[in-house]
Amino acid sequence: MKIKIALAGNPNSGKTTLFNALTGSNQFVGNWPGVTVEKKEGKIKGYTAKGDEAILVDLPGIYSLSPYTLEEVVSRNFLLGEKPDAIINIIDGTNLERNLYLTTQLTELGIPVIIAVNMMDLVKKNGEELNVERLAKDTGCKVVEISALKGEGIDQLAQRAVSMARSGKKSQPAHSFEGCVEHAIAHIEEAISGKVDQSMERWYAVKLFERDEKVRESLKLDKALLDHIEADIVNCENEMDDDAESIITGERYNYIGSIIEDCYKKRVKKQMSASDKIDRIVTNRFLALPIFAVVMFIVYYVSVTTVGTLLTDWTNDTLFGEWIIPSAQSALESIDCAPWLTGLLVDGIISGVGAVLGFVPQMLVLFIFLAFLEGCGYMARIAFIMDRIFRKFGLSGKSFIPMLIGTGCGVPGVMASRTIENDRDRKMTIMTTTFIPCGAKLPIIALIAGALFDGAAWVAPSAYFVGIAAIICSGIILKKTKMFAGDPAPFVMELPAYHLPTVGNVLRSMWERGWSFIKKAGTIILLSTIFVWFAQGFGFENGSFGMVEDMENSILAAIGSAIAWIFAPLGWGEWKSAVAAITGLVAKENVVGTFGILYGFGEVAEDGAEIWGTLAGSMTAVAAYSFLVFNLLCAPCFAAMGAIRREMNNAKWFWFAIGYQTLLAYVVSLCVYQIGTLLTAGTFGIWTAAAFVLVIGFLYLLFRPYRESQNLTVPKSIAGKVRA
Amino acid sequence: MMPLSMSETGRMNQIRKVGGKDETRRFLESLGFVVGGYVTVVSEMNGNLIVNVKESRVAISKEMANKIMV
Repeated sequence: MKIKIALAGNPNSGKTTLFNALTGSNQFVGNWPGVTVEKKEGKIKGYTAKGDEAILVDLPGIYSLSPYTLEEVVSRNFLLGEKPDAIINIIDGTNLERNLYLTTQLTELGIPVIIAVNMMDLVKKNGEELNVERLAKDTGCKVVEISALKGEGIDQLAQRAVSMARSGKKSQPAHSFEGCVEHAIAHIEEAISGKVDQSMERWYAVKLFERDEKVRESLKLDKALLDHIEADIVNCENEMDDDAESIITGERYNYIGSIIEDCYKKRVKKQMSASDKIDRIVTNRFLALPIFAVVMFIVYYVSVTTVGTLLTDWTNDTLFGEWIIPSAQSALESIDCAPWLTGLLVDGIISGVGAVLGFVPQMLVLFIFLAFLEGCGYMARIAFIMDRIFRKFGLSGKSFIPMLIGTGCGVPGVMASRTIENDRDRKMTIMTTTFIPCGAKLPIIALIAGALFDGAAWVAPSAYFVGIAAIICSGIILKKTKMFAGDPAPFVMELPAYHLPTVGNVLRSMWERGWSFIKKAGTIILLSTIFVWFAQGFGFENGSFGMVEDMENSILAAIGSAIAWIFAPLGWGEWKSAVAAITGLVAKENVVGTFGILYGFGEVAEDGAEIWGTLAGSMTAVAAYSFLVFNLLCAPCFAAMGAIRREMNNAKWFWFAIGYQTLLAYVVSLCVYQIGTLLTAGTFGIWTAAAFVLVIGFLYLLFRPYRESQNLTVPKSIAGKVRA
Repeated sequence: MMPLSMSETGRMNQIRKVGGKDETRRFLESLGFVVGGYVTVVSEMNGNLIVNVKESRVAISKEMANKIMV
């Protein structure tokens, strides 16, 4: 018998760790229908035999089954719609009260619930006691003690959960509410009897009592019945002198209080926990920013400048440069492979994909750090520390994390925006994340700095400055537009207790992010390198189509010449630059390689040192800077665009994001070139005038009045996105 | 009664009232901010607070903290 078990629990309760421990490597990741909340499924270890498997579905981390966040709605729809055979409810043993709030709601669903009390080792270490038998009796559920981190109790949990799911025995909620509440609920149950699944009657009755809009809509009750129910609710509200939802919330916490009194023995004198002490220091109003700056500096120093560069250089120069490419070349030549095929394989595919894979080691180092910061709980504090600052330009503190990851690679950066619940903040973050120079844009910076600015030290920092300025200005401009108008989401976020993450979890998280990048190199980049290789090697020459001797006759040159005029006002209207910018859409570091090929140098170093002279001869310093700015800000590479498309989950928003980025890049480059030329060479033309108009328009958009709303509501767009 | 945002760091306060619009209030309640419960401010930064509520740490913005009366 194939069974389905749902894993539910609060955020930070160790749910992901337990999911990994239960399923091992038998996982598949997808999205919940219609939303960008990640859905993970896996087969429970030991129950993978065909036809007899136990599927575990990881629900998003939630605090309750009310319909106020996307995660809650998704979880609720799944539990009600798919009716899993059992629910494993993981609760944090050190924080029973809050975690049991969800448990009281899960038990009303009429689905067998097994409680896994996590972090039992910590409970014992704190000198506290939890009587598991009594907890089982009080909640009416089976209870298993586990430590997800140490892998204790996992097998027992799996066995019991599966046998419970197979038995199909429904669990009955052990709790009851105050007399008049129960009275009203019993009335409602009677009224809806036969309209809903019998085992779920109580859950629906409680939700109707709370006047849950989504449940009301989904049941389509007639007016008379609703009025009848409403009368019951109002009666109860009058008697309890409170509104219905608060009554239920209060009743749940009362009941939880009684459970805790019965089965939990706290230490009498509670001292400040270690986490509180750490928080006192790292989130201190004076120390928070300096500590944060130091942590970021270390992460950067190690992953980007020292160890990271070492690894990247080794992969590029030694692994690909000395081993793979020469040996592939000689192997192909020894079997008398056709020269065009050798060219395609070696110069096109291996060099192209290899250039991208060269970034993988560096990125993996960065991802290890990020996984560690996430795992130990500091990442959540970063969001808190940065929130006040980011809020000023329409983003949330959580936007910092995607942007930080985006400095490594835009693809996982954009993907990291999933952690932002608020729809408006998330869209804004997705649109602006790729403005930050990613690892692949660094070679372009090195090329321009080396060729035109004599390697001046200010060029690279200025690129980051341009990126950050683009984010800040975009945030301010966009939040004043109609599309993003509305109230900012209130910042509320649980901060997990500090703890050392396990090596396994850090590596797993690193690998998941790294793999998504490698996959991109293997698919989209592979295809586009083949296309570019073909387009630049073939074309019409001497009246016939074939391999061309002179690049000027290639298809790529034709495309470049056709669109070069667009970039003339930016100072680089030559077809070679246009082509380089296009190949940059495939992968940004291609820009350097393309220049190398177009200037006839073949393979060039990462920073294109060989072509510096030629490049310097073909454009002015101002034009080169304009070229750099355009490539930094315009639409990112195809892979990142794919990530934006996926995370926006909406074609209109995707095109808006790409269009906005490219337009901004064009306008900024135009102003840089025109005004820069005016200052350096003193030429004034129609485009210079246009540049000044654009600057004024830009300043207007930036400084036009905007009244920050004082009203705090969760935008309807979150709750309303999915209909129950 | 005063807003939580005005409470001094380290003091344990009993929650008297949770204000704000329904959805905001529900969310605060599911996190454990219920009338009668206790809340302690752990840290403050430009008005945003880190508080201890029901054994867990929650970061809330100044605007939210203004809605919680202690």
